[in-house]
Amino acid sequence: MAAANGQNSAGRSDVKTSRPEGSKKHVIAFVFSILLTFISFGLVMAGEINTDFVYIMLVVLAIIQVFVQMAFWMHMKDKGHGFAIIGILTGVIIVFTCVIMALFWTTW
Amino acid sequence: MSSHSHVEGQLPHEPERATLEGRNKITGFWLFLGGETVLFGTLFAAYLTLRGQVMDGPTPNELFDFLLVAIATALLLTSSLTSVFALQAMHKHDTKGLLAWLLVTVVLGAAFLGLEIYEFNHYVHLGHKFSTSAFSTSFYTLVGFHGAHVAFGLLWAVLIMLQLKNRGLNTTTAPKVYLFGMYWHFIDVVWVFIFTVVYLMGKVG
Repeated sequence: MAAANGQNSAGRSDVKTSRPEGSKKHVIAFVFSILLTFISFGLVMAGEINTDFVYIMLVVLAIIQVFVQMAFWMHMKDKGHGFAIIGILTGVIIVFTCVIMALFWTTW
Repeated sequence: MSSHSHVEGQLPHEPERATLEGRNKITGFWLFLGGETVLFGTLFAAYLTLRGQVMDGPTPNELFDFLLVAIATALLLTSSLTSVFALQAMHKHDTKGLLAWLLVTVVLGAAFLGLEIYEFNHYVHLGHKFSTSAFSTSFYTLVGFHGAHVAFGLLWAVLIMLQLKNRGLNTTTAPKVYLFGMYWHFIDVVWVFIFTVVYLMGKVG
């Protein structure tokens, strides 16, 4: 509480020193996302790569990027996110069932 | 309370979790996002099932343009980062910074939405209407639903900004900002799958 009180005047410098550390993780997550997006686009634009390989890589890259964004930007890696994981995981299980069924019906 | 800007000094570091109501809102919002995941997942499943049925209309490969998708992706990804900065400003009880970063987020989101409207308009001129084929219908439904979420998010952010201006940052307004941040990241996460499954895979196949 005392530390929070001092932030208006004296605490400024303290806040400033803690700031770059705070946003660094998020900027790294951003750069990582950009990088993964570039690889995805590059894979498709290169053209002459095995189609099945490209499909699998695209899905893997998208899942990695989503994990990075949810862990850092949505704070899922932080404590006290048990219900968050249960909520999202329930959705993801239903989605996977739907998507795999859809692909199963149309592709096989 | 709003005239007491010095009360800010008594705000805890994470004002969105200071009250039980705030914490419950965050937990409840995660369950809502689980439901949203199902909504988008079923639309993705429908799109994956129907994307080959182009009838006489244009194919995904003829339609999609790398540059357009790349710009849209960059806009939305950057706006997701600026909404993180907004939350960090909030954690420092810097209301001005919070409002400024929210404004940047809204501007980037509006640019994304403008680009999508241009894109849809462009496609219709190429003969890719909502009722052209099963592919076009499932495409517009999936991508349009995402666009509608962006539009709703923009409206929500503007209302939060107005409320912050009127009431200041306190334990009632802080959870709203946090929820908007989560919503906005979720929209970006959905877009990651849209540009992968719809646009990039459309270019491969």
